[in-house]
Amino acid sequence: MLQVENVLKSYDKNKVVRGVSFHVQKGESFGLLGPNGAGKSTTIGMISGIITPDQGEIKVDGLSIKKNALDIKRKIGVVPQEIALYPTLSAKENLVFWGKMYGLSRNEAVKRATEVLEYVGLGERAKEKIETFSGGMKRRVNIGASLMHKPELLVMDEPTVGIDPQSRNHILETVKELNKNGMTIIYTSHYMEEVEFLCNRIGIIDKGKMIALGTKKDLFQRVAEGTIIKISVSQLDESFLNIVKEIDEVGKVIPHPEDLTIEIFVTNHQKVVGEIITLAVQAKVDVQSLEVNEPNLESLFLSLTGRSLRD
Amino acid sequence: MKKSLLIAWKDFTIRIKDRKGFITMLLTPLLLTAILGFALNSVMGGEGGFPETKVGIYISDDDKLAENFVVDVLPTFSFVTIKESKSEEELKDLLTEGKVDVGVSFPEEWSSGSNQGALKNVTILEKPDQRTKTTLIESMLKSYSEQVQIHAVTTRTVMQDISASVAASTDEINIQQVASEIQLELQSITGGELKQVSIGEKNVGSMQYYAAAMAVMFVMFNMTLGAKSLLQERTTETLKRLSMTPTGKESILFGKFLGTLWFACIQFMVFFGATSTFFKVDWGSNLYQVITVGFCYSFAVSGLSMTIAAFVKEEKTTDVISSIGIQILAILGGSMLPIYLFPEGLKTIASLTPNKWALTSFLDIMSGTTWSELFPAISILLSLGCITLALGTWKLKTN
Repeated sequence: MLQVENVLKSYDKNKVVRGVSFHVQKGESFGLLGPNGAGKSTTIGMISGIITPDQGEIKVDGLSIKKNALDIKRKIGVVPQEIALYPTLSAKENLVFWGKMYGLSRNEAVKRATEVLEYVGLGERAKEKIETFSGGMKRRVNIGASLMHKPELLVMDEPTVGIDPQSRNHILETVKELNKNGMTIIYTSHYMEEVEFLCNRIGIIDKGKMIALGTKKDLFQRVAEGTIIKISVSQLDESFLNIVKEIDEVGKVIPHPEDLTIEIFVTNHQKVVGEIITLAVQAKVDVQSLEVNEPNLESLFLSLTGRSLRD
Repeated sequence: MKKSLLIAWKDFTIRIKDRKGFITMLLTPLLLTAILGFALNSVMGGEGGFPETKVGIYISDDDKLAENFVVDVLPTFSFVTIKESKSEEELKDLLTEGKVDVGVSFPEEWSSGSNQGALKNVTILEKPDQRTKTTLIESMLKSYSEQVQIHAVTTRTVMQDISASVAASTDEINIQQVASEIQLELQSITGGELKQVSIGEKNVGSMQYYAAAMAVMFVMFNMTLGAKSLLQERTTETLKRLSMTPTGKESILFGKFLGTLWFACIQFMVFFGATSTFFKVDWGSNLYQVITVGFCYSFAVSGLSMTIAAFVKEEKTTDVISSIGIQILAILGGSMLPIYLFPEGLKTIASLTPNKWALTSFLDIMSGTTWSELFPAISILLSLGCITLALGTWKLKTN
């Protein structure tokens, strides 16, 4: 369905996307995960045809974005990060307008707008102005606008930013159902739980580069030291950190001076926890709390970059 | 084109739904027309157009050309009443007592230097509250003086050449007769005593003037409203979303232009209908001329809105342009005060403003004019629209 091959994009001397490549199969739900400023939105912009890559190739259904931009735009629906709607028009008027912009006739657009509003759970508020809606409701209409022309590929750029948990769940369930019904999804977020919930395959992007790509299982296996032991201490002792690093089952050790915590990546936490406590006592480091986290995308990102996804 | 029309219609719907803005754009000009029209009715001479003007005249000697101005020129204007005085002091008294509105005092041998193209200065006595009438009389005198000098200098030059010719030296022609014929010929070419190019057959009343002036000023606000609409689309990312649809950049930008043009035209037509119906404003006998000028002006304003949108980054800047820039343009273009009251320098600057061309065209239509006389203004407005639309579109496309 989608092929992104070695795309590059720079603004002045700032290289925003540096040779990103990935493929998305028809009917797949692909997650693009990365912190703010990683280059996700620029990649999405290039797939949507509004940003021209400096180098590389993007193809949708075999059509090159460089030569067939308008044809590709008919096939894809894009949910922008911002609520790109007209606040003084009603929800239905907005959807009808966007539908017509995708080539629907007036009758088709009106009919489809009613269906879409029901689908996103706002059928009863069709005639109300967008400006009167809550953030979550606006987000749902924002998604609805990109579903008007029944796109084959739905590209969603952080569609849940700044909304309440209830609306967020509604959106995630809607996206899941769309994918179940055969729509190909590309979902970008810096919330790893969302990507984990929705996507079969995931690409992790950081500083404009794809640093990991594969199924969830593949990615977790790549993190040999998948479990994180997080301990809270009274002070950060350099000698204690060095001793912990020497344990065989321990991978990376990342101290966080700002909140006096240490994250320790381990392969066998049951074996190591006791040893770490003992070493702490010997080093006269007061351990105030300890938690064990199973491997997830957050830990993967942390192990790859040494930074948190939300840094 | 279809997509452009969709965008234009969407913009029009948004602006119609903004009731506060819509009312401001329609009711405010109607209200201002009513206030200014009624308030300045007496100053501008009511529906008769030019105000009744009593002119006091003092001629120091028996200067023929000065007498010609008083006896032959001034009486041709129905709104002018002449009162001659025996001295400049008496003239001042008449003015102080309010028996005349303007005083004109010709010095001794006023036209003695006309052959050299120089006339002595005429003293104009004015009352501060009669500035409009004074300006009118000054304009007439100035026009007459120019005609006198043209006649005199041209005749002298031609006569010098003829005198030097062989035919004259051999008495084959009568020099005096030739001079008289040249004078008569010049008079017929220049249209008589005074030029009356732009006044037309009918006079324009205060209500008519301000109806045209307010229409022009408020249609001009579309310049910033159109630009602001585009900037808002950029801020709210709907412009980006439009770019994600299968629509070319040119179609999107042309749609924005059409939206502004559509609203400006509707606004003008509603205002035109309202002033004709409620205030009985006579916009002239040629409806097609009114519609054509209204469209061309709206076209120019919409083109300018694209250029402003292209060169302005923030919506706030358009608000500043709207509140200050348009007021300045409105003053320069004659929407606040009639252009004929302006000094020459300002009149020249006014010609750089599109609203001046629109306003003077509407006034010409009201007083009765031909298509050929409207042609320069129509051409200027259309050219301005095309150039600014092209410039704005080019710049926005490359942004």
